Amino acid sequence: MASAVDESVTTSPPSRTDLAGRGRPRGNPWRRPWAMEGFTWLYIVWSIVPIAIAVLFSFNKGASQATWQGFSTKWYVGNQVTSVLHNPSLHQAVIQTLVLAVLTTLICVPIGVGFAIGIDRWRTRTSNGLNIVMIFSFVIPELLLAVALFLLVTQALTFIKLGTPAEVAGLVVWNISWPAIIVRARLVSIGRSYEEAACDLGASRLGAIRRVLLPLLMPAIFASAVLVFASTVDDFVIVEQLSSTANTQPMSVLIYSNVHAGLSGPALNALATIMLLLSLLAALIGFVGYRWMSRGERTKSTAEALTGIAGI
Amino acid sequence: MSGGHVKLESLTKRFDGVTAVDGISVEIQAGEFFSLLGPSGCGKTTTLRMVAGFEPPSDGKILLDGTDVGNWAPHRRNVNTVFQSYALFPFLTVAENVAFGMKYRSVPKSERDSRVAEALALVQLSGYEKRRPNQLSGGQQQRVALARALVLRPSVLLLDEPLGALDAKLRRALQVELTALQKQVGITFLYVTHDQEEALTMSDRLAVMNHGRIAQLGTPEEVYNEPADAYVADFLGVSNLMDAQVEPRGNGQGPCRLRVGDFTLEAQAGQLDATGAVKVAIRPERIHLRPYEAGGVNCVPGMVERLVFLGSTTHIYVRLAHGAALQALVRNEGTAVPYSQGTPVKVDLPADALRVLPDPGVSVAEIRDETLGDQPLDVTGTVPASS
Repeated sequence: MASAVDESVTTSPPSRTDLAGRGRPRGNPWRRPWAMEGFTWLYIVWSIVPIAIAVLFSFNKGASQATWQGFSTKWYVGNQVTSVLHNPSLHQAVIQTLVLAVLTTLICVPIGVGFAIGIDRWRTRTSNGLNIVMIFSFVIPELLLAVALFLLVTQALTFIKLGTPAEVAGLVVWNISWPAIIVRARLVSIGRSYEEAACDLGASRLGAIRRVLLPLLMPAIFASAVLVFASTVDDFVIVEQLSSTANTQPMSVLIYSNVHAGLSGPALNALATIMLLLSLLAALIGFVGYRWMSRGERTKSTAEALTGIAGI
Repeated sequence: MSGGHVKLESLTKRFDGVTAVDGISVEIQAGEFFSLLGPSGCGKTTTLRMVAGFEPPSDGKILLDGTDVGNWAPHRRNVNTVFQSYALFPFLTVAENVAFGMKYRSVPKSERDSRVAEALALVQLSGYEKRRPNQLSGGQQQRVALARALVLRPSVLLLDEPLGALDAKLRRALQVELTALQKQVGITFLYVTHDQEEALTMSDRLAVMNHGRIAQLGTPEEVYNEPADAYVADFLGVSNLMDAQVEPRGNGQGPCRLRVGDFTLEAQAGQLDATGAVKVAIRPERIHLRPYEAGGVNCVPGMVERLVFLGSTTHIYVRLAHGAALQALVRNEGTAVPYSQGTPVKVDLPADALRVLPDPGVSVAEIRDETLGDQPLDVTGTVPASS
């Protein structure tokens, strides 16, 4: 894709005489940037190959994670004892991850959207302060929050039980800045004129938010929901602290504890692959959905859709 | 649709200690096309936003058909706005955009479709019902915004630089259309613009604003021909401003004579009883250039500095002997202008065109800076110049 652009540019290099009197000519400035291209490919290979190998060995026929013994899906469904489908602790982990991701997204996004609208549209000193608080979760260590939450729910707020309730509460706190920041960025970029127009045409303040602002915010709300979902699937530190029994261990915690106990095997690779697929699927849905929802606007390029999702 | 009488009484708006609108009082008759004209930062948009209900006034009253609506929410006022950015809802079709407000006006469902069709026909957009705003050109979007506001039959329509984002040719065409439309629907239009040509061609009356106050209020002819001060003279079209000194008259009788540099000029317009330092203004189209040998009253020597061909006219920049620069406007009659750069000429400044204005206490250059506003160049690229 990039090379086509490069070649069309290189068809018209400046003649050497153009550069006369500006020092020694140093070759064609529009030549292909081999060094940079090479480095980029190196980076891509470096980051993808380990994941690809891990995924590959989830399809291994044998029990080895080092020697390829032929293709099989036995670690997903075939094996009656240790496959993800038949090992209760493994498929319980998949279900727990999905439960946490769905619950966290459902609770986190509405609160975050309300937060963003409140901070941006009813501007006071308090809201400026809260705006800074929103950035906290990007700077404070996740472990610190996890340990603090653990102490909170075991010592003070004991009505929040360790396990799913505490896990969801922790994940909501940790992820709320996604919708708050992404939706706020969109609020800033769409400005107030649409709401003013709605009020001018007869809508009340709340009516304008419901009929005009929320539809305009939909792409951002959707993008942040996808990010909260993906980030919850990936989370380890908070759920590790706040899970209680094996029943409330999501995939990440299960993989970690099994690997630590020396119980690794291709079934864990299969579990990790499912986790990876869930995240990738969320990102894909987010990308396609964002483009579809903002189709009426000038945002057309892929890069803009991606930055839209990332909330920049 | 009845009513539409607007009265602003010492309306004031302060933002964090900065006074944007400084006690303006205006009465706008029902069915009038009234413009607020001024450079950016003069308070005209803030005034409009207060009438619309987007900003609460710091002081003063907004009387709409006799009721003070100053602290009413926007949706309770029977006024509608056409925004500079149009603010059409991108996720709704043209018809849905136009129908948006009727939900709140207890218009029966059966009537809504016909009202939408009627409004779109009024702005000549029949057949575009199913399109989305981003599939329309700038001019078409502007018409949808107009239809969306007019369909509610407000008593006053507020227009915030509605033609600002359009190119010059389309803007001229829409100026004519908008004026005709206003006469047709008979709704009071309160129109905000920084474009003096727009204000002069469209309005029944206009108010020139400066620093949050009204510098002059009148019909376009009054404001253009009889500017109240140097600021209005300069803002409305190109004006030649010079510093002058009124020569003392023994008995208070006789013509008003002004000392401009080394010359004495006679003036017959403006504030003829002024004394001391004044500003004197003359419109470029009233200046005549004559051969250097010519003589007569109010003919002063000068030199042609620059010729700017503008198509229908030519602007001739002349420098007078004492240093003042003037612009003369010569109509294109099909023959070449008999002057070139460096030609010495006599500049004829007819006494009835020389207008004596009170001295605001600032230099001509400062007035010129002010009429350009806070931002010298607007986003629309319109330069307040030739008229």
